[in-house]
Amino acid sequence: MKFRLTKLVSAVAVVASAAFAAPAAWAQNTIKVGWLSSLTGPLSSAAIAENQGVQLAVDEINAAGGINGRKIELLTRDTAGDPTKAVNFAQQLAFQEKVHFVIGPVNSGEGLGATPIIAKAGIPNLVIGALEELTDPIKYPRAFRVINTNRQWISTANDYALKKLKRTKVAVIGDTTGYGTASARTATTLLESAGIKPVYSVLIDPNKTDLTDEMQKARAAGADVIMPWSAATGLLGRLLNARGDMGWDVPVVGHPALMAAQIRKLLNKPEYWNNTIGSGYVSTSFGEDGKLPAQTQQLVDKVRAKLVPGGGEIDILFWWVAMGYDCVKIIEHAIRTAGGTDPAAIQKALENTRNFKGVYGTYTWGATQRDGFPDSGMVANVANTFKDGSFKVAR
Amino acid sequence: MLFVIVTGLATGALFAATALVYNVMFSTSKVLSVTTGHIPMLGGVFGAYAISGLGLPWWLGLVAAIAVGAAFGWLTDVVAIRRVLARSDEHLWLLSTLAVATMVQQAVGLWWGTEPKPFPRLIPQDFTAGAADQKFWLPVALAVVMAAGLHAFYSRTMYGKLFVAMSEDAFAARARGVSTDRIRVASYVLAGALGGLTGFAAGQLTFAYFALGLTLTLNGFIALAVGGLGSNVGALIGGFALGLLNAFASYFFGGEYQQTIAVGLLMVVLLIRPEGLLGSRNVRPV
Repeated sequence: MKFRLTKLVSAVAVVASAAFAAPAAWAQNTIKVGWLSSLTGPLSSAAIAENQGVQLAVDEINAAGGINGRKIELLTRDTAGDPTKAVNFAQQLAFQEKVHFVIGPVNSGEGLGATPIIAKAGIPNLVIGALEELTDPIKYPRAFRVINTNRQWISTANDYALKKLKRTKVAVIGDTTGYGTASARTATTLLESAGIKPVYSVLIDPNKTDLTDEMQKARAAGADVIMPWSAATGLLGRLLNARGDMGWDVPVVGHPALMAAQIRKLLNKPEYWNNTIGSGYVSTSFGEDGKLPAQTQQLVDKVRAKLVPGGGEIDILFWWVAMGYDCVKIIEHAIRTAGGTDPAAIQKALENTRNFKGVYGTYTWGATQRDGFPDSGMVANVANTFKDGSFKVAR
Repeated sequence: MLFVIVTGLATGALFAATALVYNVMFSTSKVLSVTTGHIPMLGGVFGAYAISGLGLPWWLGLVAAIAVGAAFGWLTDVVAIRRVLARSDEHLWLLSTLAVATMVQQAVGLWWGTEPKPFPRLIPQDFTAGAADQKFWLPVALAVVMAAGLHAFYSRTMYGKLFVAMSEDAFAARARGVSTDRIRVASYVLAGALGGLTGFAAGQLTFAYFALGLTLTLNGFIALAVGGLGSNVGALIGGFALGLLNAFASYFFGGEYQQTIAVGLLMVVLLIRPEGLLGSRNVRPV
């Protein structure tokens, strides 16, 4: 009796494992890409736009038959801007779903928690947070950055303020968040290496309701340019309002968030947005002829219907969409070059990538270089020239 | 320097008004609801939505803000307070009000967006008014009027006296035939209405922002604890003191010290005078 039962049980087990193995074998054929996106919560506007780019690229590639016959399976996880969720989802994607790639997280704060986990699992990771610590060729050998670094944002602004506008008395304004404090510090270091010591430097709580005091102190210190390093739109809006209400015509040159459409709505008067410059990209700037680069225009046309249902102008920063699109295209390039999804081969393929032309940028990585966005892709933009997702170059 | 004082008074008034709202709810239920800070958030967001989004005149926006606040106050009582108080679990309301607070914040974040949005100008005034700008004086005027109004309410009206009776001894009040449940609901609705009004008045200062709730809950509580639970004048003093201290701290030391100093103040006051500056020591004769 016992003997027969054991046989029965083992027979069932064999059949069951065959049944499970078959779909598993089929599932192995798709390329699983994990997408850690803060679709709700802070920085959701960036994530939602990036998601559009990612989805479009995935749909395009799958419609053309996939990569080497394998379709991309996108596993989107909404981290809600919460580092704890980002870490949990990263673990899930890496160890349970066993994805082949991870894109994101979007926020640098989430990235600080999730990137080491993805690195421990040895999964190639496309980093889209700007904080310097997110890439490290030794600690995270398979993490490759697609977005520019924070340093590149700061250098672009500094170059414009110091070399183009020829200013010498800089006021550096940061906020009390981790990002703001670190950025203000980096900005000060870069200024000092150019021989400029800020005349006024302050960290402000991002929810402080009025910035007149700080602006008056900056004016009293003799500042001839204000450089804010904060991603908090409330704070930046209040800064521009204080400048305008004071009637002080000083240029504000700094973080790209200065150019966000939400800022325009927070201003007391629309002309308060004049004389405001943010770090931007060649790929989303109108040239001398008033046109966008051809590749950018192509993507805009493809995705406009999804971004603005019912037609109309795009009112989010288009580089977000372009960057999301490029992430998937980079994955495609890596798999084709490596001939498969073996992580070590992917790493080699990306390390050997030189001047891979995307829409958002032209990427180059190396054996010890994990930040792929070129300095030549950065440019200073004029905030109030926002139109359809892009800007004019600041001259 | 003038701006430091004016900003301090304005944010202090906002904290004071939140503390007053705490008081109204505390008086009848002995509950310090975590949802208190979220009521002004709702007032600001719905006021902005009514005026800027729907194009209604300012006074309809005001009515909308008060109505939404009152409705949320009522909802808090129904969902988080009613059944919890009926049980004997002493402080379960902390969890239940925290849950309601989290839910309302996330819901508003999903609908309204997570970026601060502008609050419309209520009274036509040029933006170069500097320290006389209405965004500073509206909250201050409101806090004072609210405190005076509550005082008149408690001392002159029947309902107000019922509130006071319940806060002194709920069992005795019930023994005298006072419907304590109905009074409690009424107090939550009133607290909600006052909170909505606060958010509307302070909207130009804070912008219509979904995440205001937790900061106001915390700072309003600090103001209340410093001034003394149950005391409206204490709430005013505590609120203004906290606001001014915050403003001076960030002016002289920088924004990084703002929170430390605020909570430090709370700790110092609680160590020296645990019942707050004007609170009453709860001595029960035995």
